[in-house]
Amino acid sequence: MGRAVGIIGVGQTHHGRRTEMSYPDLVREAVVRVFDDAGLTPADIDGVVSGTMPSMMEGIALTHFYFADAMQAVGKPILKTETCGSTGVSIAQTAYYWVASGMADCVLAVGHEKMNEGNAQATMTTVVEPFYQRYFIAGAPGVFSMQSQMWADRYGIPEDKIRDAAAYISVTHHDSAFDNPYAHVKLRVSMDDVKNARLITYPVRLLDVCPTSDGACALIFASEEFIRKIGKKAAWVKGVGYRGEEYFFGDSDKGVWQSAVQSAKQAYDQAGITNPRKELDVAEVYNPFTFQEMLFYECFGFCGFGESPDLVLKGIFNRKGELPCDPSGGVLCTNPIGATGLIRVAETVLQVMGKAGDHQIPGAKLALSHAMGGVDQFNGVMIVGSEL
Amino acid sequence: MSKRVAIVSVAQNAGAESADNFYDQAYRVAREALDKAGLTREELGTVVTASSDIFHGGISCANSYYWETTGAFLKNASRQDGESLFAFFYGVMRILSGQYDTALVMALCKGSENPPNDACTLMFADPFYQRPVGLTETTAAALQMRLYMEKYGVTREQCAKVAVKNLDNARRNPYAHRKGDYTVEAVLNSGMLADPLTELEAAPKSEGMVALVLATEEKAKKLTDKPVWFKGYGSSLDAFFLGDRDLLNGQLGNAAARAYKMAGIGDPGKQIDLAEVTEPYAFQELMWYEDLGFCGRGEGGKFLDSGATAANGSLPVNVSGGVLANNPYVSRGLQRIVEATLQIRGEAGQRQVDKQVKTALAHGTHGFAGQCHAVAIIGS
Amino acid sequence: MAKEYKTLMTEIRLPYEISYGATWTRFFEGMAEKKIYGTKCGRCNRVLVPARSFCPRCFVDTTDWVEAGQQGTLTAWSYVSYRYFGMPTEPPFISALLRLDGTDVDFLHMMGGFDMSDFEQTRKIVKNGMKLRAVWKDERQGHILDIKYFEPA
Ligand SMILES: [Zn+2]
Repeated sequence: MGRAVGIIGVGQTHHGRRTEMSYPDLVREAVVRVFDDAGLTPADIDGVVSGTMPSMMEGIALTHFYFADAMQAVGKPILKTETCGSTGVSIAQTAYYWVASGMADCVLAVGHEKMNEGNAQATMTTVVEPFYQRYFIAGAPGVFSMQSQMWADRYGIPEDKIRDAAAYISVTHHDSAFDNPYAHVKLRVSMDDVKNARLITYPVRLLDVCPTSDGACALIFASEEFIRKIGKKAAWVKGVGYRGEEYFFGDSDKGVWQSAVQSAKQAYDQAGITNPRKELDVAEVYNPFTFQEMLFYECFGFCGFGESPDLVLKGIFNRKGELPCDPSGGVLCTNPIGATGLIRVAETVLQVMGKAGDHQIPGAKLALSHAMGGVDQFNGVMIVGSEL
Repeated sequence: MSKRVAIVSVAQNAGAESADNFYDQAYRVAREALDKAGLTREELGTVVTASSDIFHGGISCANSYYWETTGAFLKNASRQDGESLFAFFYGVMRILSGQYDTALVMALCKGSENPPNDACTLMFADPFYQRPVGLTETTAAALQMRLYMEKYGVTREQCAKVAVKNLDNARRNPYAHRKGDYTVEAVLNSGMLADPLTELEAAPKSEGMVALVLATEEKAKKLTDKPVWFKGYGSSLDAFFLGDRDLLNGQLGNAAARAYKMAGIGDPGKQIDLAEVTEPYAFQELMWYEDLGFCGRGEGGKFLDSGATAANGSLPVNVSGGVLANNPYVSRGLQRIVEATLQIRGEAGQRQVDKQVKTALAHGTHGFAGQCHAVAIIGS
Repeated sequence: MAKEYKTLMTEIRLPYEISYGATWTRFFEGMAEKKIYGTKCGRCNRVLVPARSFCPRCFVDTTDWVEAGQQGTLTAWSYVSYRYFGMPTEPPFISALLRLDGTDVDFLHMMGGFDMSDFEQTRKIVKNGMKLRAVWKDERQGHILDIKYFEPA
């Protein structure tokens, strides 16, 4: 695994529709907060990893230029990581490798998106293959809905049951968001509200879908030696996994999503986890769509394939359940895409440090974070723990 | 560094427009790099690519598009945006972490499909202040060139001589896109872009699929008898607004100092045998000589005049023809490493220099007037 | 009253000229002749459609051209009923993954040939595993929309 690496600071913006500030100022809000949280100054930083979703989202190319000052990165070594929706977790992994390799002792990771400045689905459509596939994939909802439909059919899950389970996820996450001061959409909704919401892309309805958010997130990664020297508490990186599949939607089976299965396995192997449902205390699964969240539970080995709807309805994955998933409200309530994966990592750091406030899972020691992206292609997983 | 990382193979395509599509062109170069290393896709450890997003390619999240072309199916891979030396460094980091014993590093750009360079670089500008006044890499460079000439008395002829040298060198590089036997007059009369820059003093828009395979020391010894070792790396980012910066004393010195420290280089002018630098505008090569410590401040023009940086000079720079000859925007940094590797291995064909190259420098820059710089040192 | 903040309305347009390359040129020439071409990998023996110059998994050149069936089996679908700026296809429509006869990967296109204005009615018709067949345009120009849609066979 290389050198031990810990995360010693978390900064998030108040995510939402932030038209009252410019994009660089929004980035700065997260960066100021991470330095406050870590008790460090920019002088302590050996390198900065920056990242976002596609440039088309806000119409600005190579945003590390634009945010050099907001990230306090002037005069610093810089890397710019982008892997579509999984960018956030890829930023975290870049920072991790920078420290683990011995090439830096203290690295700032920043992810950001100001989605209300552009058009999210028009942007997503430009990710899709232009000769063969762009006409048929209706943005992100289109591709992920087809995956969910395929999965439900594969395991013969009755439509009523899967609809109920997805609605349960929507109700509980929107409710959890009230306990997360940084969350964007906070709603009290009923199961019927979700089930009767406007159809977007069958089986997905409006309340099964994440919002369009403005937000940024920053984390500070450091070596064991650095952390000991400054005497800080850290969330230790226990495992990192990432996998990608072919670009052509249809080349790989999405009903048993191998990139999700294998990215988790890589992280589990490094962390020495053999029974994730028992050993993990909390998970922040990347869940822009309720239906897809259940497929992730199965791919990550939280339960068998086809079993998740029953377990969801039994409350196994809610905040008081055996393995709480997305106690922050998750992506379903907050989705500034380039920051979203990093927010998942940030939330697990807060959990294992006991700093998650009103959505703290008591006694959480080991946590999984995740992000996915591409045309149903990429999955990345990071596991953090309170003990080295 | 306790552990060593080696470059074990390199591959690139020609810069001129190709009838191949992006997907096939990328696959062929990745395949060639793996074949030269004697690696199957299954044996390959990890992949780090560099590409730029939609504005340099027309497709968002470009690494979704080309994922399988780099052999990355069900592998742990990642991607850097904008500068391919970032990807080189990230590949080195992944190997030094001990988790992988080989890495394919690849930069992908197909310039022929893209809008004109400055239609893309205009998108670096912020939408409020800079974009309405048309700031691009070219206009920013023109401002920088004027400042440079006025402060140090460097002449337009000296700047043009960089293009003369590099486009002549390119005649011996089969991969080069633009090449020719030009005079200083021809360069100066090649059409005004943004005063004082002329057309032949600015880089073209080229194809560039560029790949190399990295390996741990142990693995490298099994894969090649001519490993080229990673010695050092440094990068640095400058402030965003041009008016906040000293355009004549940017971040390259900072980036180079970091790379030299890691590589144990105290006297770059003596210890570096050959350099491949990114000079999207001719005069910048002179400025970079100074920032890299090859000569004193303001002496870039004289250093060029001395012949030191000619192909047969004491410190040849851009024997490949550099970026003035071949400019696959994102890939140009990694292409510098590939060219330096070929020189160290003695495999540069007609453009091989006479002297023995033991230690070489590769440089990449992107952004207005060199907002971001990266420097890598490799050696035998 | 909440404070109002100014925003700048702006738009970006850029031209791209994206190459088909040899393999896809041949695929689309086939479309003009009502043929759907795939290529076969000599190592894993999978037939990939649309045609590919190399196998993504084996990472070797594909060896043979194969004409895929005009019929296939539905493997996944979604009824699309929302709109966004620049959407290339007018909703409602049904995105469909189908396995064309004689091939080993799913082919993405859309379903049609029946009234889909009402979702509940549509859902009674569309089932995974159903057989579909290509319906071609009379005027074809070597484009993916030379196939109008796939209809229930
Ligand atoms: Zn194959």
